[in-house]
Amino acid sequence: MEAALFTLVAILAGLGIELLSSGAGIDIPGWPFNLVFLLLFGGLILVVGLMFREHPLVAWLGGIPLGLSLIVGLALLSLVGGVLPQNKFPPGSMVAMLRLNGMFSSWPFALVTLLFLFNLGLALVWKTIPFKVANLQFMLFHGGFWIALSCGLLGATQLERLVVPLYEGKASDVAYNRESEKAIHLPFSIYLKDFQIEQYAPKFALYDPEHDRLVEPKSKLVPEIGKGVKVEWTGIGSVTVLDYLPSAMPGANGVPVAVDGKKGVAFARVRIDENGKVSDHWISSGGPQLKPLFVPMGNYFIVMADGAPKAFRSDVTLIGAGGERKTETLEVNKPVDFYGWKLYQSGYDESAGRWSTLSLVEAVRDPWLPAVYVGFFMIMAGNVLFFWKGVKKMEAA
Amino acid sequence: MTLVEFPAIALAAVVCWAAGSLLQIPAKNSRIFGSLSWLFMLSGTLVLAWFLTSYWIALERPPLRTLGETRLWYAMLIPVVGFLVEYRYKIGWLKYYCMGLATVFLGINYLHPDVFEKALMPALQSPWFVPHVVVYLVGYVLLAASAVSGWHNVIQNFRGRRSEKGESMSHYLALLGFVLLTFGLIFGALWAKEAWGHYWTWDPKETWAFISWLAYLGYLHLVARKTDPRKLQWYLGLSFFVLLVCWFGVNYLPSAQNSVHTYSG
Repeated sequence: MEAALFTLVAILAGLGIELLSSGAGIDIPGWPFNLVFLLLFGGLILVVGLMFREHPLVAWLGGIPLGLSLIVGLALLSLVGGVLPQNKFPPGSMVAMLRLNGMFSSWPFALVTLLFLFNLGLALVWKTIPFKVANLQFMLFHGGFWIALSCGLLGATQLERLVVPLYEGKASDVAYNRESEKAIHLPFSIYLKDFQIEQYAPKFALYDPEHDRLVEPKSKLVPEIGKGVKVEWTGIGSVTVLDYLPSAMPGANGVPVAVDGKKGVAFARVRIDENGKVSDHWISSGGPQLKPLFVPMGNYFIVMADGAPKAFRSDVTLIGAGGERKTETLEVNKPVDFYGWKLYQSGYDESAGRWSTLSLVEAVRDPWLPAVYVGFFMIMAGNVLFFWKGVKKMEAA
Repeated sequence: MTLVEFPAIALAAVVCWAAGSLLQIPAKNSRIFGSLSWLFMLSGTLVLAWFLTSYWIALERPPLRTLGETRLWYAMLIPVVGFLVEYRYKIGWLKYYCMGLATVFLGINYLHPDVFEKALMPALQSPWFVPHVVVYLVGYVLLAASAVSGWHNVIQNFRGRRSEKGESMSHYLALLGFVLLTFGLIFGALWAKEAWGHYWTWDPKETWAFISWLAYLGYLHLVARKTDPRKLQWYLGLSFFVLLVCWFGVNYLPSAQNSVHTYSG
């Protein structure tokens, strides 16, 4: 009861601060003050936990009832943050004044988290000192959570996520901050040799212009174009692919001719059978210079759509300030480390599609990451022990 | 095998489960009927396992991308939990709820058919994809079973037939579910770092995964406080609704507009 009230007061106090500051949110101190704060806070927990262990107030501060209330508090605040769109309300609105649209950098969230870390920290100190092997699972799980949460939040001020636009055949060291759009020079430059997109095979579809929708074929498949593929639409007709050219350009007589990969667009020769009325046509998804080709079938149109991107990658040379060079391929899910930065393939010029000569690379630096990962691995280790103990108890039950 | 065959497969599975359940009645007096009943119930699940395998092959990617695909997995796995509980605890009623729930999932998929779509966006092409989703799947399956048995226990308590065995079962199911939820959350964070550049961005799905994790974390602390297990059955029954929001409800919330997880819709 007292614990729930205490948590509520913390939330209300946080909301009060937001209201007074018009929803400015909390500014977490930057380097090195974040580390100083963490050490002082950790030290305080250690001192209070060890010196006043028997004090009823301290016992309460590190007890399960308060822990539970704070878990509920965190869950409720996260609930608000998980329902309301974040960063979406006009500045004067009540939601923005209370910073409910920036929940995870708001005072109520920060206060509840701080108290939660204090509560968790005390419990951790008591279970760790004196050390007992039996408490290992508790220490790993709770300690890991403490480290991951505190280092993740305090390290957030030092997290840098920059966008580096690269053009084929050019080198650049200019990166932009997403929010401020300020240009920043990286300690190295990136030369983009080549940017490529691999796509899934193009698809074809039956477009119903009257209802602006696609008609589902009999097979319920999204048909991929390939030589010999036949698709039927019940009561309308069928289409058979006679020939498929993934990359082609129209020749002198209008008939498409296969060309080298990057220049051409996809063409397919299709046989349309409208309940016995058979005709052959070329269809194409089109490209930057070429209009798409589609053919009517009854009141509908057979259209060809580019396949979704399967992979996109940038062949780059990374050139450090000291002149060291490294040739790498940046691809989604395969970031590359250089000079303390992690480089990610993040995007390209989507309007140009696979003809894009622009590659967007994200450069990320997060000095606190190792600490957060230590926390993660401790949680996982504790989790394994928890599972093990749980299974053993279950077998005994 | 593709979605064209799905209605037949779903029907076969449901018929197997129903026949197996009905055969439990004569099975009380006859071992032959007992074996036959189990043969049917297991066949229902095996039919789905076979469908998922061949669907995986036809898709050329793990069928774990869309909500409809994950429902297929739940429909296959939830009855397995019911069967294992009976095998381990000799508690028979859970399997009926589990098969019922699986039938609901198959029904939803029948009414809202997925489209057969091979494409897998580049961010999902990762060694993390399968472990992240499978760990969550199994976690959700266990927590669904825990919620179902929680409700069952609530009803039994009303009828004055409290079963401590039933309570301990819902507890252990929740405990195992929580372990998997934790792994799912951390695998997701580690993957996000490789794919999106940061391990945690308060994406609505992440936020809801965090909330549901906190809900079960709260449960474990209530247990540690020696809360009356009868009250905890309510808690377990209700917590699953939070998971449901996280699983698919998120897509309907105002916050979902900018989610990186909406592909799973």
